[in-house]
Amino acid sequence: MATTVLTPTATRARSGLYDWLTTTDHKKIGILYLGSSFIFFLVGGVLALAVRAELAQPGLQFMGEAAYNQFFTMHASVMLFLFVIPMLAGFGNYVVPLMIGAPDMAFPRINALSFWLLPLAGTIMMLGFVLGGSAAEGWTSYSPLANAKYSPGVGTDLWIVGLILIGTSSILGGINFLVTIFKMRAPGMTMFRLPILAWTVLVTSVLVILGTPVLTSALIMLFIDRNYGGSFFDPAGGGNAVLWQNVFWFYSHPAVYIMVLPAMGIVSEIIPVFSRKPLFGYKAFVFATATIGALGFSVWAHHMFTTGSVYLPFFSFMTFLIAVPTGVKMFNWIATMWKGSIQFSAAMLFALGFLTMFLIGGLNGAFSASVPVDFAIHDTYWIVAHIHYVLFGGSVFAIFGGLFYWFPKMFGVKLNETLGKIQFVVMFVGFNMTFFPMHELGLMGMPRRIADYSPMAGWNDLNLVATIGGFLIAASVLPFLWNVFISLRGGERVGDDPWEGNTLEWATTSPPPPYNFDRLPEIRSERPVFDQRHRLAGRATGH
Amino acid sequence: MTANADVLVPVVDRGESLEELVHAAEEHTRGGISNPVLGMILFIASEVMFFAGLFAAYFNIRSNAPVWPPLGNVEFNLRGHVLLPAILTLMLVTSSVTCQIGIWAIRRGDRKGLMRAFVVTIVLGILFLSGQAYDYTTLGFGINDGPFGSTFYTLTGFHGAHVFAGVLMLGVVLYRGMAGQFSARHHDAVEAASLYWHFVDVVWICLFTLLYILG
Amino acid sequence: MCPLRPALPGAEDPERSRGLVMTRFSKGIPQGAVIVALGALAMLLVAACGTGVTVLQPPAPATEQGKATDWLYQVVFIVAAVIFFLVEALIVFAAVRYRRRKGDDTLPPQIHGNNVLEVIWTAIPVAIVAIVFFISWQTLNTVDAVSADPKLKVEVTGFQWQWQFTYPDQGVTIVGLPDKAPELVVPVGETVQVSLQSRDVIHGFYVPAFLFKRDVIPGKTNVFDFTPTEVGTFSGQCTQFCGLLHSQMRFSVVVKSQADFDAWVTQAKATPTPAPTPTPGPSASAGGGGGTGGQPAAVSLSAQNIAFDQAALSAPAGTAIQLTFVNNDNGIPHNVVIHRDSPTGEAVFTGDIITGVATKVYDVPALAAGTYAYVCAVHPNMTGTLTVK
Ligand code: HEA
Ligand code: HEA
Ligand code: CUA
Ligand SMILES: [Cu+2]
Repeated sequence: MATTVLTPTATRARSGLYDWLTTTDHKKIGILYLGSSFIFFLVGGVLALAVRAELAQPGLQFMGEAAYNQFFTMHASVMLFLFVIPMLAGFGNYVVPLMIGAPDMAFPRINALSFWLLPLAGTIMMLGFVLGGSAAEGWTSYSPLANAKYSPGVGTDLWIVGLILIGTSSILGGINFLVTIFKMRAPGMTMFRLPILAWTVLVTSVLVILGTPVLTSALIMLFIDRNYGGSFFDPAGGGNAVLWQNVFWFYSHPAVYIMVLPAMGIVSEIIPVFSRKPLFGYKAFVFATATIGALGFSVWAHHMFTTGSVYLPFFSFMTFLIAVPTGVKMFNWIATMWKGSIQFSAAMLFALGFLTMFLIGGLNGAFSASVPVDFAIHDTYWIVAHIHYVLFGGSVFAIFGGLFYWFPKMFGVKLNETLGKIQFVVMFVGFNMTFFPMHELGLMGMPRRIADYSPMAGWNDLNLVATIGGFLIAASVLPFLWNVFISLRGGERVGDDPWEGNTLEWATTSPPPPYNFDRLPEIRSERPVFDQRHRLAGRATGH
Repeated sequence: MTANADVLVPVVDRGESLEELVHAAEEHTRGGISNPVLGMILFIASEVMFFAGLFAAYFNIRSNAPVWPPLGNVEFNLRGHVLLPAILTLMLVTSSVTCQIGIWAIRRGDRKGLMRAFVVTIVLGILFLSGQAYDYTTLGFGINDGPFGSTFYTLTGFHGAHVFAGVLMLGVVLYRGMAGQFSARHHDAVEAASLYWHFVDVVWICLFTLLYILG
Repeated sequence: MCPLRPALPGAEDPERSRGLVMTRFSKGIPQGAVIVALGALAMLLVAACGTGVTVLQPPAPATEQGKATDWLYQVVFIVAAVIFFLVEALIVFAAVRYRRRKGDDTLPPQIHGNNVLEVIWTAIPVAIVAIVFFISWQTLNTVDAVSADPKLKVEVTGFQWQWQFTYPDQGVTIVGLPDKAPELVVPVGETVQVSLQSRDVIHGFYVPAFLFKRDVIPGKTNVFDFTPTEVGTFSGQCTQFCGLLHSQMRFSVVVKSQADFDAWVTQAKATPTPAPTPTPGPSASAGGGGGTGGQPAAVSLSAQNIAFDQAALSAPAGTAIQLTFVNNDNGIPHNVVIHRDSPTGEAVFTGDIITGVATKVYDVPALAAGTYAYVCAVHPNMTGTLTVK
């Protein structure tokens, strides 16, 4: 009954490119986000390959320290700020308004602004490479190393400016998501019927709004230190070196949940659909997400255990505690599959990749929560292993899962499943080959961020294995690029709802029309489309 | 932020035309808090965190310093420099009041009242900025004079930038008001701008107390 | 790379799980499945232990504190391994056991949740993390304990990109050189107290075999104790990224018997610090340098590759000296400070720290005749002698 009939008046078609450049349609903006972020994934990946190539053997083969330091710094900056965060924002943009039955985001023009800030920021950041060297202090940019005295050159300033712009984009995006979710839900879409992805985007947006401005303030202080003789962070001038770390991590720890909560949301959409079951423990999931968000603000100093400047037991305990809500999610995902009818589509395979690999990343992160153990592994390759098990094994696997899952919605065609499975297997193997040995390297004492190591240290073999693995990951990206190419040119056409989805986006056409819906199904649960499909057997009681 | 589901009135309803929907998406939803005002509240939340970062840095540096204000520059003693800032504070507080008077006016549908009040508010804002700029020229230290200089100019400077943004915002509202765009029922932009202005005022009161009175 | 792996395919083997599981659990008894998973897990762990696995083991600890950390690591490792195998087994089991068969269109039971289960899998992890946290805290108190009267005190100074070890009570200083990493020599079995200072950016003092590291932060002194338990040489390295040559900032800790240590101290006192130019004692330079009279009052000095280009300079007494200082190290700060007598003497002239590549010309006020030392304030291993007469 609660259907919406729209009169499509604004269908005046404009020329393609102009249309994309000026669009305020959340779906087009979402696709722009996804596309540009993916390009940055390739850029960050190529930088990673350069890093891996240099580390394959001891000695400096391909580059000097100066280049290496720029490469790993920009690798991380690009991957985190220009790939993972915008990519997930892209899914949020495309999917969330559809899922909640809204015609668009709350502020469509601000939405376009949020997006266009990103390519601008990315360009500014990368400009360093052609202007005498990019930032090279690591993505954490610890001060006083990042002060002008020790890092002259414009690269770091460009990095700061780029990051402030990205932050602004995130904040505007976060506000947009929150207003959209709070105010634009379709009739019947109560908060506890929101799809989990919408919930994770909601909590993520809160983290963005409360965390990102603190990073902005830190970056501004750093900029003032560098360019106007400020003395915030250099003890030589009366500042405090550890202050930077406190402010930076106050944002950057919540940021890691910004980078994983929406990924968990994606997985929570995929698993129920391909198990043909509702998500087990919906409310527990919501509370776990909120708890992770809240705890996320109380653990930042676990990156600073070795500074001797933080109260260790408190931060250790809070860090341990954060494993609990994450565990709740993990068990609920498993329970969702339990007794289900699981179809191993490419999307589902990536979701399973997420479960199995993120588990490792969570557990090796929990090692660091134990302070004395962190004394041993901090700033070694163990941490590099952790970073990639959570961010690649977690976020990136979920992102690929999401791409396979929503591609038919976006373009009306499916990605090729066989190519997808090949990609998954190669990527899974390459990923573990690259990053598992890093645990051993870390325990053996290999510090991170080194361009070179002693041939006598005993790190040669494992580094070689990791490098081969890295190139295997790169190889696994090629079938994906090919897959997108052939699918867009003539992939398998599928109907509006190829996977038998649960959520509202599957109730409209593929691709959806401007303003999304001609009519909405009745919303009586968190699975309106499922209810509609199984009207007779299901819980929806007709009209 | 924890909105009760029932309070949130959905946009999409039976029989709404596309124009209405798009309009709703951009401007207004019926009942509850409007989109622009909610957006502004969230934006202010992020601004609070931005200043929280700067304030945290200030307190951290201050608590690490052996003496505060640091020795070596008598000008650092801002308690002896409180007169002009006190007048400026008074102006900004007054401007918050006039701003609110404007809001009350438009809620009654009194457009003239809104215009009058906002003109006064904007003038006070500009006076504040000019006063602060003048004050800067009389201070015997710069941003590069150690932690005291850096924190002082960063805090007050970014506050000033926010006042400037607020003035622009009020200016846009005034301009739209003169074009007759607001009414008793439709004036979200006015509400949003005034919220921002009050926020800027509150930040200044904290800064004034901290930097000039507590020293 | 993981000897534990070979056991896994069994659980993944579709044939096996279909045969076994389908018949026994076709009615889907979760408890039974859990038992199977647990059984598989137990087998894996036994298999792992049986083969004497050394996956994911830290190096053998060489200090008392390291032993405590190692013990804690083993606890955390076992807890994590158990959780890992249990949860992975559940994932793999669920995925394989409940895979969709061809042509199967039935809708499985629509279970929305179970509050008892939620409570269980919240409470158990809470208990686990509480226990592990508690044990970690206990160990932390051991590892972090600082003795009031340690047997030996060492001041470790980090700077881009070398280390300096000073033994204040013994009067010995060791500075690392680009081609020779410094050695921190300590006696076995005694508590050594290290205080860490930095001259420029943040560094990290890390010895893998001690299972320990601590940041070296400018403007802050960090102190920790270690008690080496065996004689030997243990490599160490800077772990906090500190700029261009971070990877080269290595050192080693040499643990000797008490007798050998004492002998080393005596010898180290006799041989001056191996710096480019030995620290000139007041008497050492009495012989006078090679300078003849009538030196021009202009001298130049440059810094390159974190060293001065000249180990000795001379200048006339009583007239102002024009000092041209060139920093050729791109992006690296240097300066020149002139001290009376030796690098630890009173500073009579301090140049600005300039970041290369750059040149600066100073007018150094007239100096009285005598011997001076010039050093870079950022890099104490950059020294030279200035003879004024
Ligand atoms: C997506 C990103 C992401 C995520 C989700 C996480 C999640 C976690 N991280 Fe991670 N972390 C990073 C990204 C991320 N991290 C990055 C990028 C760095 C490095 C930054 C840098 O220095 O460059 C870092 C560094 C880092 C450190 C600092 C290490 C150091 O520098 O010394 C620590 C320390 O405690 C830590 C801990 C944790 C913990 C406890 C979690 C937890 O949230 C994990 C919780 C999950 C589980 C534990 C698994 C599932 C749970 C169960 C099955 C329940 C049962 C489990 C138990 C009872 C334990 N992380
Ligand atoms: C989402 C985050 C993310 C992702 C996806 C990755 C992906 C990868 N990372 Fe990265 N990494 C980080 C985040 C990430 N990393 C962070 C935060 C750090 C810490 C940095 C710091 O210390 O400051 C880090 C550090 C880091 C290091 C440590 C460097 C050091 O400490 O010295 C290494 C070393 O091996 C590494 C390797 C890799 C590799 C091999 C990949 C691979 O997965 C990459 C896969 C490869 C590709 C995607 C290439 C695809 C390209 C092609 C197929 C070619 C096609 C080309 C064109 C069409 C032009 N990373
Ligand atoms: Cu010193 Cu890294
Ligand atoms: Cu963290």
